[in-house]
Amino acid sequence: MRIGAPKETSRGEARVALTPESAQQIQKLGHECLIETGAGLAAGFNDDTYRDAGVTVVDSAEALFEAAEVVIKVREPSEAEAARLREGQTLIAFFWPAQNEALLEACRAQGATVIAMDMVPRISRAQKMDALSSMANIAGYRAVIEAGNNFGRFFTGQVTAAGKVPPAKVLVIGAGVAGLAAIGTATSLGAVVRAFDVRPEVSEQIESMGAEFLFLDFENSQDGSESGGYASPSSPEFREKQLECFREQAPDVDIVITTALIPGRPAPKLWLEDMVAAMKPGSVIVDLAAEKGGNCDLTQPDERIVSDNGVIVVGYTDFPSRMATQSSLLYATNIRHMLTDLTPEKDGVINHNMDDDVIRGATVTHQGDVTFPPPPPKVKAIAAAKPKKKEKEPTPEEKKATEAAAFKAQTKRQVGILAIGGALMLLLGQVAPASFMQHFIVFVLACFIGFQVIWKVSHSLHTPLMAVTNAISGIIILGAILQIGSGSAVVSVLAAISVLIATINIVGGFLVTRRMLAMFQKS
Amino acid sequence: MLGQGFVSAAAIAASVLFILSLGGLSNQEKAKRAVWYGIVGMAVAVFFTAFGPGIGGYWWLIPMMIIGAGIGTYMAGKVEMTEMPQLVAALHSFVGLAAVFVAWSADLERRRVLAARAADGVMQEFSAFAALVATKAPDELTFLQIEVVLGIFIGAVTFTGSVIAFGKLAGKVDGKPRQLPGGHLLNAGAAVLSLVLAVLYLNGAGFWTLILLAALAFFIGYHLIMGIGGADMPVVVSMLNSYSGWAAAAIGFTLGNDLLIVTGALVGSSGAILSYIMCKAMNRNFVNVILGGFGGATGPAAEIEGEQVAIDAGGVASALNDADSVVIVPGYGMAVAQAQTAVSDLVRKLRAAGKTVRFGIHPVAGRLPGHMNVLLAEAKVPYDIVLEMDEINDDFASTDVVIVIGSNDIVNPAAEEDPNSPIAGMPVLKVWEAKQVFICKRGQGTGYSGIENPLFFKENSRMFYGDARDSLNTLLPLVD
Repeated sequence: MRIGAPKETSRGEARVALTPESAQQIQKLGHECLIETGAGLAAGFNDDTYRDAGVTVVDSAEALFEAAEVVIKVREPSEAEAARLREGQTLIAFFWPAQNEALLEACRAQGATVIAMDMVPRISRAQKMDALSSMANIAGYRAVIEAGNNFGRFFTGQVTAAGKVPPAKVLVIGAGVAGLAAIGTATSLGAVVRAFDVRPEVSEQIESMGAEFLFLDFENSQDGSESGGYASPSSPEFREKQLECFREQAPDVDIVITTALIPGRPAPKLWLEDMVAAMKPGSVIVDLAAEKGGNCDLTQPDERIVSDNGVIVVGYTDFPSRMATQSSLLYATNIRHMLTDLTPEKDGVINHNMDDDVIRGATVTHQGDVTFPPPPPKVKAIAAAKPKKKEKEPTPEEKKATEAAAFKAQTKRQVGILAIGGALMLLLGQVAPASFMQHFIVFVLACFIGFQVIWKVSHSLHTPLMAVTNAISGIIILGAILQIGSGSAVVSVLAAISVLIATINIVGGFLVTRRMLAMFQKS
Repeated sequence: MLGQGFVSAAAIAASVLFILSLGGLSNQEKAKRAVWYGIVGMAVAVFFTAFGPGIGGYWWLIPMMIIGAGIGTYMAGKVEMTEMPQLVAALHSFVGLAAVFVAWSADLERRRVLAARAADGVMQEFSAFAALVATKAPDELTFLQIEVVLGIFIGAVTFTGSVIAFGKLAGKVDGKPRQLPGGHLLNAGAAVLSLVLAVLYLNGAGFWTLILLAALAFFIGYHLIMGIGGADMPVVVSMLNSYSGWAAAAIGFTLGNDLLIVTGALVGSSGAILSYIMCKAMNRNFVNVILGGFGGATGPAAEIEGEQVAIDAGGVASALNDADSVVIVPGYGMAVAQAQTAVSDLVRKLRAAGKTVRFGIHPVAGRLPGHMNVLLAEAKVPYDIVLEMDEINDDFASTDVVIVIGSNDIVNPAAEEDPNSPIAGMPVLKVWEAKQVFICKRGQGTGYSGIENPLFFKENSRMFYGDARDSLNTLLPLVD
């Protein structure tokens, strides 16, 4: 099959869907690659590098659409491009079928199959073709770079001969792929980063990237697993709590990066006018949601504006395109993986398998039918987070109270035992002869000493302890010794046997203990 | 002949030495000295008692001691470290039997003295223990009788109990709990009958009561321990250890010998504490263990999802090569397979490669308290990397690889996660928190408690089937 990448037609789009690198890989699948002349120029790939990679350079878009059986693009097709599609042709691009219904219909009418890269389901197997994540990652990185470009100070704190520099404080709202990338970039530049997300289960990821998770104490927090790993709209009460938290942060932070998006809805307004007003002059807000209306009240899509109090609000929508080389490399690789899945036999024949969860999910028109929206995937995006029981930290007073109660109970028990023990001793003293009581005192004291001593024995020495107590319990030999000289023959014989076995016990016990202890060695 | 003063001084010295000996076991280095305290204490006690006033029969005494010492030395030199549990059990039985004999003798002496008194009314010359009995007042003699009964009963239970425990540990008796029809009712009946015999004896019945009493106690010891499964033997052995101490103390009362009383009490409390620690580690109470069997499950066990995934030595080796921190959790299976040297070789290799390797030991791993420590020490694993459950349990989350060798119930997450599990609430090693767990196991069977282990079905668990020693030996060359 011939795979062709035309030059992007939308204004300012610098990315390209085919790179020399991905072209080589695609050729290994048995396909032929075509590219419109100059398509990769903005991303840093000239026609010659494509030719070197074995790609045929075509003079015009018309010719390319004519020649290619699969057209790969970055942005959704323009009306003119859609009109060029023909029956049996496949288009792979970011399509946004929910927003572009007319376009979808147009493509269907042309009879083309459209695979929307933005519809690739979020399951592990499909991660390699998840172009949204690739682009979000770049956007998150670029957002920090843009912020740094507009921010008048260092990110990292320093103590220099010329004075102390505090580190920049960065707040990242929304810890999706873009948010996490922004956190990673900002922390590696040395900033102090805080992050917020409505899905409490991402707190671990946030902390693993080196940021502090702003925890919102709120019941019924969202479970992101229900919505395929994306956030969903929050309740008014939750929103109120959230804004309160942001309001608190506003005077403190230097840079705010907002990435909060809800699939298929306008971006939620999270950074309100009064928060901007509360920020220090020279602070920077980078709104990654600008394309969907922005998370910040002041955001103007594609504009950089300065508020009345000197806060810079960056609302660019083309962050990935601003890093065209990197974006193209990653996007082309995503496309290449999609083609690999479409060419299971590696024989240059596309097998559009509608039973495959990933291909089915991404396909929006096929054989003259609109196949959007797709049925829910069979595999859940991420495992449902098990509700973690949060143990409440007891207040110092409660702690004290429980400790006091435990102490009291212990005292009560000990006094009780002592009282009962004392009473028993008294009773025993009434009937027992004095000589017995003397021995009994020795016995009780020995038990006490035994308990005190044995508790200190290390667990690892329990076997030697048993062996040594075993040897010591051979002390019964004394009893036999005392009796062995008796006048009675029976007694003498019994005592003699006792001496024999008790000696085995003593000698065996001690020797084996010594053997064992000698084996314990320190490293 | 040494005077009574010498003997008493020796008794004090011996008591102090015994206490120091037990106290010294608080750490490995001190312990090596402590065992000498015990040996010296015992030598002092025996020597001064044997050459004290009123002792005779040296023609019996000295040859018997020489023979006994010979047998003891031979046994101690020959025993394998994996056989420690049975050796300890066997030695307990000796103390029990000696206690029975000494108590019988004490009663025979008492009868002799009484008979002499009744015959001519004048005190004739008695030697040895009989001389002491002769000086006793009638109420003291009654107490002596009670002490004799206690000595015989405890001693006899210890004897047969230890013999059965020995058999089970050595594999000579089936490890499964087994009881005669009637179960614990038989034990209870025997105990009641013993009480009746004791009362008869105290009221002047003949020597036959003591023989019968011993026979009944022999039966109780036998039947009680037969009803307890092999894996509960740590508790049983500690309990018998305790009993042998109490038997010695009871004899001490009979003979009026403080050294016996002190030593018996030390040993008795030591065994009692060990039993307590073991029971706590299984989250079961003592009565439950001794009366046998698991019980009290409150509902159906939680369903286990997933499947057991097997892995070969190559997979384990590559995971080990990538890991920085490794924890090994050994259990009875390691002792059975004699795999401790293979484990030690593996540890040496991993440590040489700069990895952190540690051991996590559950208190009831093995068949004797501290059994695993001794086995690992034998295989020359340094003791400072062998940690207790409490010391290591929090570190599993930051561990790359855990290797479970021949243990099952002590790493069962059901104890924490499933309130209906028979072992719910038992403290366990949280190996499943590690990034990867390899379970070295012979087959797909369950552990001692007979319950399924959800650990084997977890996503980060891999089953490394086979005999532990063979598996580790195939693994060794693959690790670099």
